[in-house]
Amino acid sequence: MVKYTLILTALCIPLAANAEEALIEGNVQSKCIINTDINGVYGNPAPDKLSTKSVDGGVEPTIRFDVAIANYYLARITTPSTFSTSPSLSDVVNWTGTTTVGEVSDAGMSAYDAAKVTYDTTSEFDLTIAGSTWFKVDSVATYGFGRAFPGGTYRAIVQAECIAQ
Amino acid sequence: MIKLFFIAALFLAGKVSAHEMTPTYPPLVPSYVDGLVSAKMTMFNSRKDVDYFEIGVFDDEWNPVPFAATAKILRVPHGSSKTFEVFVRQEDKKRATFICSLSKLRTDSSARAIVSSKICSRTDGALP
Repeated sequence: MVKYTLILTALCIPLAANAEEALIEGNVQSKCIINTDINGVYGNPAPDKLSTKSVDGGVEPTIRFDVAIANYYLARITTPSTFSTSPSLSDVVNWTGTTTVGEVSDAGMSAYDAAKVTYDTTSEFDLTIAGSTWFKVDSVATYGFGRAFPGGTYRAIVQAECIAQ
Repeated sequence: MIKLFFIAALFLAGKVSAHEMTPTYPPLVPSYVDGLVSAKMTMFNSRKDVDYFEIGVFDDEWNPVPFAATAKILRVPHGSSKTFEVFVRQEDKKRATFICSLSKLRTDSSARAIVSSKICSRTDGALP
């Protein structure tokens, strides 16, 4: 009887041990998501000017970058330097553009603006904090020397890039 | 409560217009084709205004590197994801640094998208 009890006990112990070893695994993966929250609209405050600034009657494009882990990605935003769609233009178009940090999910992200690197029409932001950052883009186009833009549809493209570091 | 609703609304708004590509550091591993290495990528599109994405492979100076894939312009309809494989020659393995996907915008005037999104993963596994 003692022998059988011992054998049964021995069989039960490994089963109990197995039950305790049930694992739950998780994996946090670094990734970047680019969200186009608001597509911009050009306002036409003066005959020779197209602008996405709200004071000029435009709508600023807003792009959100979500990063799961800090320090893995670089956000690079390039403002337009040409129209992708426009009527035929015979004079030069002068472009200016700025990218600024709007809303942030972490207060520390407010420092991105001061640390940004700007060259040509591109602004680079090192995404050093995990979470969401909303970037606002201003784009202003002026035509010739006080010349009126011809009537028609104008479109320009903002390029938002998320580059793994 | 209002603040919470506002935050939730922002996240929901983002869900309808996102572009995502993983993994961030895909390894280039030997493929079933002799002399080629490959990386498996997955892309998710929830941008309503974009259906097509261009795949590109670049070196660390952003020069294009020859590659092969099922298609260089992939159709990823809104709300869906696609897994694709990128093949690079063994001799280009050290040179190929970035695998990128770039959203392609339609030129017709009905499309209002003015933001082109591009996500690049690193094949050399460089960590900060």
